[in-house]
Amino acid sequence: MEYVNPLTGFRLDGRRPNEMRQIRGEIGVVAKADGSALFEMGNTKVIAAVYGPREVQNKGQQINNRALVRCEYSMANFSTGDRRRRPKGDRRSTEISLVIRQTMEACILTHLLPHSQIDIFVQVLQADGGTRSACINAATLALADAGIPMRDIVTSCSAGYLCSTPLLDLNYIEDSAGGPDVTVGMLAKMDKVTLLQMDAKLPMDIFENVMQLAIEGCKAVAHYIREVLLEHTKQLECHRGA
Amino acid sequence: MGGEGVVTPGEVVGESNQLIAGRGVYLAPNGRTLRASLTGLRKILPPPPDSSDQRSTVEVVGHKAHGAVPQPGSVVIARVTKVMARMASADIMCVESKAVREKFTGIIRQQDVRATEIDKVDMYLSFRPGDIVRALVLSLGDARAYYLSTAKNELGVVSAQSIAGATMVPISWTEMQCPLTGQVERRKVAKAD
Repeated sequence: MEYVNPLTGFRLDGRRPNEMRQIRGEIGVVAKADGSALFEMGNTKVIAAVYGPREVQNKGQQINNRALVRCEYSMANFSTGDRRRRPKGDRRSTEISLVIRQTMEACILTHLLPHSQIDIFVQVLQADGGTRSACINAATLALADAGIPMRDIVTSCSAGYLCSTPLLDLNYIEDSAGGPDVTVGMLAKMDKVTLLQMDAKLPMDIFENVMQLAIEGCKAVAHYIREVLLEHTKQLECHRGA
Repeated sequence: MGGEGVVTPGEVVGESNQLIAGRGVYLAPNGRTLRASLTGLRKILPPPPDSSDQRSTVEVVGHKAHGAVPQPGSVVIARVTKVMARMASADIMCVESKAVREKFTGIIRQQDVRATEIDKVDMYLSFRPGDIVRALVLSLGDARAYYLSTAKNELGVVSAQSIAGATMVPISWTEMQCPLTGQVERRKVAKAD
């Protein structure tokens, strides 16, 4: 199948190979949570809610010198093309929960909040490829909304390699093509990669190009997330009358 | 980079040789730059006049105010939940004058109820479940509860309900009287200011 048109260079949805989908972020969508955010990457829509820092509910898991970070990823039944009930603890969900937890835990200053617990709940409302990245971006916005101290803004983006072209931000059709899918998560301002995952195989030099493309995508998302945070803060200042 | 502005986590807010990291700011691993850890306004506080280090402090003030947490030495308002032979349990509701987001548990031990004759204290004549007490936080205590003390004149029961259901009036530091029935009940009463 022609994922990249050889004549025009356009992809199936009309994007160029190094073009991301349209991203949109909104803060404060879940009123009861300490912090929450909605993040959209094209048709992929994800909600993240953060509860914490609060007292550890299971005293056996309490850590003396830092905060306990828990994360749960789930997909809504209506998120994919066919409405299907997903079991809560299936392997893919557990793996993505672990990946998101490790990425956010590396970024939160946990030593400032000992004996406490931070819960991150991420739910996919609409899945069209790149759900992992959208979840990490939504979790970053939600943590920033909750006022939890972080080292930097963590952003994530995926990239692949189809028809001999590195493609940025794969959607579901491109993802199901069976080509490699590289997901990168990084601390934008400090220029440090904290998450790197790939399925399928790539030769080393092509992998470097694809990873670099994903890193550029991460930086673009970080720029947008920073603007969303600044805009939200200015609105709060306005409402306060400062 | 002087003055104030809105910053996001990860942004550089100063150099460590000119500024000290305050709240919402951390020292980057390279040891030289200070970066923000919260989203908010960047503020510079002047150094305290009697310290040797004359650097100003830079802090980032966020919007989400986290609830108050009891600290040793702070005066708290608590509601008594359980009264036992040697101690009373209380739920801490306010710290100084700020209400807490989630309640904390405190214990008032027999020896911390008052300052004199501490071994002759009868807990049932000092507190009853439902009383509102003003207490001092002695220490963070153990994993279960903070240790509280009412061993001062201005600490103790602030408000209590009588058996008849009316709010009682304090008449001395050991007694409160019900306005409906006139019955006198024993409590460790706080001196009203």
